[in-house]
Amino acid sequence: MANTDVIVTEKITKVYAGNGVPVEALRGVDLTIQQGEFTALVGPSGSGKTTLLNIISGLDAPTDGKVWLSGKLLSGMSGNELSDFRRDNIGFIFQAYNLIPVLTVEENVEYIMLLQRVSKAERHRRVAAMLEEVGLAGFADRNPPQLSGGQQQRVAIARAMVSEPAIILADEPTANLDSRTGADLLDMMSHLNVQTNMIFVFSTHDPMVMERATRLITLKDGQVESDETKG
Amino acid sequence: MMTLKIAFRNIFRQKRRTILTALAMIVGFTLSSIFIGWSDGAYSDIIAMFTQNRIGHIQVHRGDYLDKPSIYKTMDDYESIGETIGSVKGVEAWTPRVYSAGLGSVGEKSTAVQIIGIDVEREVQATRFDKKIIDGRKIAAQPAHEAVLGKGLARNLSAMVGDEIVIVSQGADGSIANDLYKIVGIAESGDDIADRMACYLHIADAQELLVLEGRSHEVVVIVSNINRVLKITEAIETSLNDSTLDVAPWQVVAKDFYRAMQADQQGDAIGRIIIMLIVAIGVLNTVLMSVLERTSEYGVLKAVGTKPGQIFWLVICEVLIIAVGSIVVGAVLGTAANHLLSIYGITMPQEFTYGGIKFQTMYAEVNARSLIIPAITVILSAGLVSIFPALKAARILPARAMRAH
Ligand SMILES: Nc1ncnc2c1ncn2[C@@H]1O[C@H](COP(=O)(O)OP(=O)(O)OP(=O)(O)O)[C@@H](O)[C@H]1O
Ligand SMILES: [Mg+2]
Repeated sequence: MANTDVIVTEKITKVYAGNGVPVEALRGVDLTIQQGEFTALVGPSGSGKTTLLNIISGLDAPTDGKVWLSGKLLSGMSGNELSDFRRDNIGFIFQAYNLIPVLTVEENVEYIMLLQRVSKAERHRRVAAMLEEVGLAGFADRNPPQLSGGQQQRVAIARAMVSEPAIILADEPTANLDSRTGADLLDMMSHLNVQTNMIFVFSTHDPMVMERATRLITLKDGQVESDETKG
Repeated sequence: MMTLKIAFRNIFRQKRRTILTALAMIVGFTLSSIFIGWSDGAYSDIIAMFTQNRIGHIQVHRGDYLDKPSIYKTMDDYESIGETIGSVKGVEAWTPRVYSAGLGSVGEKSTAVQIIGIDVEREVQATRFDKKIIDGRKIAAQPAHEAVLGKGLARNLSAMVGDEIVIVSQGADGSIANDLYKIVGIAESGDDIADRMACYLHIADAQELLVLEGRSHEVVVIVSNINRVLKITEAIETSLNDSTLDVAPWQVVAKDFYRAMQADQQGDAIGRIIIMLIVAIGVLNTVLMSVLERTSEYGVLKAVGTKPGQIFWLVICEVLIIAVGSIVVGAVLGTAANHLLSIYGITMPQEFTYGGIKFQTMYAEVNARSLIIPAITVILSAGLVSIFPALKAARILPARAMRAH
């Protein structure tokens, strides 16, 4: 695999026990995602998008198959190694409930760097720059419940990106936002993608995401139905 | 650091829950503190009465008299021994005694008696002998062939104040000893068994009867602070500097009583069980609820790289912070309650007896134990009870936690 192949999956299957009836959520997914790609995972509800994101990030284990991130095989790692690996290599943006409500905006964004033991001065410098980037410069001392949904998602984006991970995974990041806010955030992320070369992988139903994606992977019944890279 | 910050803020965010949890701990702590303070107070009273009124705090004998009493094991120079003891710091009073067994007869009736020769003035100072007289008066300060009988002995002999008692015994020289004494009083020491045989004589009369002039079997010492009795025992040993003398604190003199008291410190056990139950019930439920409610929060923390161990400690920390706060409040309440109970006491509807001593009002005591034991118990039981919810939080699968919404 090439150095620029940041995400590689091989024959991933996932079977959920379900309620007595096993559910085959993924049925042999082979993917390679390269540095700098702005990827949208699309497909009907239940096609396995969230499941795939969870497996790529090591939040969930595949029933069968392998995942390499930056050349490292996930299934070979212990729980704590996986925690550290996620902390250092993956930024998460969830659909909702991203933030720790008792921490301020600044502390939420700072959190991962605290786990990484980044020095205080460096943390403050990066948090300030990042908040500036997402347009929340004056909001450092606010608490998440005092922010709008769009502002909260911006904080989540700032947190995901501040430690400069190789990969940003986002599960329907715009689903809870109005289209105006969603479009703004997408433009911002697309801009950051070009600037930093981080990989973005979105699962989405949102046409706005699909418009901006450089690669569109369509899942159906747990399999890749189509995979197109836009020029 | 961050863990502490998050824990602290959660405590303030979930005020209701914090108050409920804290209340359980405070109530548990305070109740148990009162239990221990109260039971310690009662034990201190029992010990104080048992020692002060009877065996004294420290006893000095010749050799192994304590284990194998004998009329021959005497201190010939007890006055100077007493003077030396009296000059030791912390000693309040001392009093010599002469003991022997004999046969006492009043009129037609006879029974075994224990002859107790006492220095009346010293005995009053040391063990409040005068307070034990329930009929008649105490023996005169100068030897006048007067006797005071224990309550039970007087009953057994159908003796009254004003009667005469004949005592037959054996002198230290092997001669038959007998003499006649006038009964001037009846005494009740609080120890019914001892009172059934006790026959108090003036020490000089007893010495004369037993041919033990100038000698005694025992010197009883009273100290000003019973908690320092072991230190003072050592000090007395040092200043007497005589290896043939045995200086024994009350814990040794009344071994069985002491052991029974120790085995019997129920206050601790009851106190601990109260806290553990209240804390367990109060804490387990609230902590579990809080963990369940915050599933997605722990899910995010884990997803972004927080280790399960860190999440475990986050939950435990929150509980322990509340525990520490509750202990502070509980300590204030418990101390205040014990202080009040040490002044006013609690009067039982019925008198009860312990070690032959009668009690009706029990007083609490303010001491370190009544704070330390509940504090340790609160911390331990709160910590233990939170292990299960903490493990639950640590094991949350982020994939599932995030899907829950
Ligand atoms: N924990 C689980 N237990 C059982 N079945 C599950 C579980 N999680 C997902 N599934 C099933 O696996 C399949 C794929 O689910 P997944 O959430 O990955 O779909 P999705 O593409 O993200 O859907 P959506 O667009 O609605 O978010 C579905 O049939 C779902 O019901
Ligand atoms: Mg989904």
